[in-house]
Amino acid sequence: MAFTGNFMCTSFKKELLSATHNFTTSGGDAFQIALYTNSASFTAATTAAVFGALNNEVGTSGTYTTGGPSGSTSTNTLAAAASMPSSSGTTAFTDFADKTFTSATITARGALIYNSSAGSGSNTANCVVVLDFGSDKSSTSGDFKIVMPSPDASNALIRIA
Amino acid sequence: MSAEFKLDLPQHENVVSVRTTSNRGFTPDELAEDCVAKIISVSDTALPGIRDQARAFERHMEKVVAYYMRQAIQSDRTTVFNAITDAGHPELAELIRRL
Repeated sequence: MAFTGNFMCTSFKKELLSATHNFTTSGGDAFQIALYTNSASFTAATTAAVFGALNNEVGTSGTYTTGGPSGSTSTNTLAAAASMPSSSGTTAFTDFADKTFTSATITARGALIYNSSAGSGSNTANCVVVLDFGSDKSSTSGDFKIVMPSPDASNALIRIA
Repeated sequence: MSAEFKLDLPQHENVVSVRTTSNRGFTPDELAEDCVAKIISVSDTALPGIRDQARAFERHMEKVVAYYMRQAIQSDRTTVFNAITDAGHPELAELIRRL
């Protein structure tokens, strides 16, 4: 098993049509990120994030906390990029700010972004995207930073054209 | 008639990038590079003259942003120095000031 690329989860697409996700910067849902080793295997068919060593999530280190959703104040929560969602021309888009886990010793091959308050719920793990880093990325007592794409109509992580 | 919209990620391209450090944090220069990449986007297919000028501007902006990041670090260190001194730990404050 291994990461085989990036995927927009099919369940997420379906949930968009039932108003399960709210990406509004202020007052929207809480989106969190979980990091995994290359032993994890996720595809477009992944519906929910799974957690812990048994599911190949990396261990707690520095400001990264393993174990899944734990409220909107979790250190794994992603901040929305400014003024999201937005649009340009006929493309609507939303994106997140870069995420840095500090003082961390981590080796990760990929990540899942999930909605931890989907449908006004709490501690949910509805999968949004599967991200493949392309190779193992490691930090040692340092910073582990995930650089999100520019929040525009050509590059943003989630775009509807 | 139906409407279709696309909502997919390129499977085999890097959608996000990851930057890491060992035994240190990011330097102002490294962070300035990420910051400017969020502000300025230069197309590889732009006219060469315009592209070169835009990239030169990008490099200049990185230096400006890094400079002010260093200023922010120094300024914050002054604030931390005073807070720790006021808390009764002048020796620790002095160590931090010298970083």
